Amino acid sequence: MILEHLRLRRRVSLLAAGLLSGREREETLAHLAACARCRAEHAELRAVVAAIEDDPLRSAEPGVPAAVLAARVAREVEQALAPAARPRWWLVALPAAAAAVAAALLVPALVKPFRPEPRAARVTIPPAEASALLEEDALARIERNLAREQAARYLSEAGEVLVSVAATGIDCDRLDDRLDVGAAPERSRELLEKRRLVVDEGGEAVASARGVLDDVELALRQVAELPSCVKRHDVELVQKDVESRQLLMRIRLMTRELEG
Amino acid sequence: MGASQSGADDRELMARLATGDRDALTPLVERHYCRLYRIALGYLRQRDDALDVVQEAFVKVFQAAARWDGSADAGPWLSRVTVNLAIDRWRRNRRRGQTFSPLAEGDHLEVLADHGPAPDRRVLGREAGERVAVALEALPERQRAVVVLRHYQELSLEEIAGTLGMSLGTVKSSLHRALHRMRATLTEAKP
Repeated sequence: MILEHLRLRRRVSLLAAGLLSGREREETLAHLAACARCRAEHAELRAVVAAIEDDPLRSAEPGVPAAVLAARVAREVEQALAPAARPRWWLVALPAAAAAVAAALLVPALVKPFRPEPRAARVTIPPAEASALLEEDALARIERNLAREQAARYLSEAGEVLVSVAATGIDCDRLDDRLDVGAAPERSRELLEKRRLVVDEGGEAVASARGVLDDVELALRQVAELPSCVKRHDVELVQKDVESRQLLMRIRLMTRELEG
Repeated sequence: MGASQSGADDRELMARLATGDRDALTPLVERHYCRLYRIALGYLRQRDDALDVVQEAFVKVFQAAARWDGSADAGPWLSRVTVNLAIDRWRRNRRRGQTFSPLAEGDHLEVLADHGPAPDRRVLGREAGERVAVALEALPERQRAVVVLRHYQELSLEEIAGTLGMSLGTVKSSLHRALHRMRATLTEAKP
């Protein structure tokens, strides 16, 4: 009986944990019926398991959407890879410089001796075409400036939205510790819709702002997911994310740069 | 979706990650995020720490995808990475003097509010959570991992053994010892 008791003791724990089945379970239940000590132990262990089963964390949902987490992971991987992936500058620069020097020395000698072209041979642009080229150049400059102004406005509006979320202290449900973020989620969604215009159509003109624009997009996506009456913890998550990326300061600096 | 289908999809996603295809990351995260979050949260009982651990786990998985053994299921491997990172985080917190602190009231309410229980049930849930936190804190690292995988993830003994790289016998004795130790802690903590 004592030997059997020792043999079955571990099984009593497994039975309480819901991990016994078949013959083992039958044997253990039969032992419990005959052994008051194991029966009491089983009851106490069941109480432990019941306490765990009542723990609300068993059904907790993460507060950050999967897409946002995936974007963070991708960014972290990129940052980790960046130094290794970037070729050492001298490996590229030295052969390029050597090739340039060789070309400068050898090509004119091999192809033809350098002679300045006579003035008459130079291509002259008729005044009408020159004016058209100037206009084209001016138009390109205007387009570039407009794209940069548009990006600056977009960043400035996004900054306002993020500040309004970060600075909110207005309770909308004091009992449930919820804060009012007003129209910030809706404005975030509107800005996210505008983003394609700013980034894709801005092209090279806004290339230097791409990093800030990407981080702003992630932050806006978080805000866009919020209800207007939001749990304080979720607001704090957004605040933490914005702070950790120094986003407001970067928005300010980039806005100034884009505005020239 | 059956387990084998899920395993096949995971294998495909991991193979794509191994070739540097970052688009494979989002579906992999969507599939395992919640499960891994609950493992990390069950272990650490801090929302921010749990999120950090899950993020770090996916970064590690991404970086190690090329070295991953394609014949194995990715799910247990992801769980194992998460448990190991949670243990590392736990040690770091302990060195800094931070261990479990019962979650803020709002955290419990949020979790329970999703399922809409009555207020008295909320209070019971919060109390249960605090008692369990204290009892888990008293466990050695691996025993705590076994309890979390069994009672927060409903894994079988074989699955726990596979996830933690332990023998079946070790898992059984770990769970046995863990439950007894928790019983002692909960009994002591009774008012």
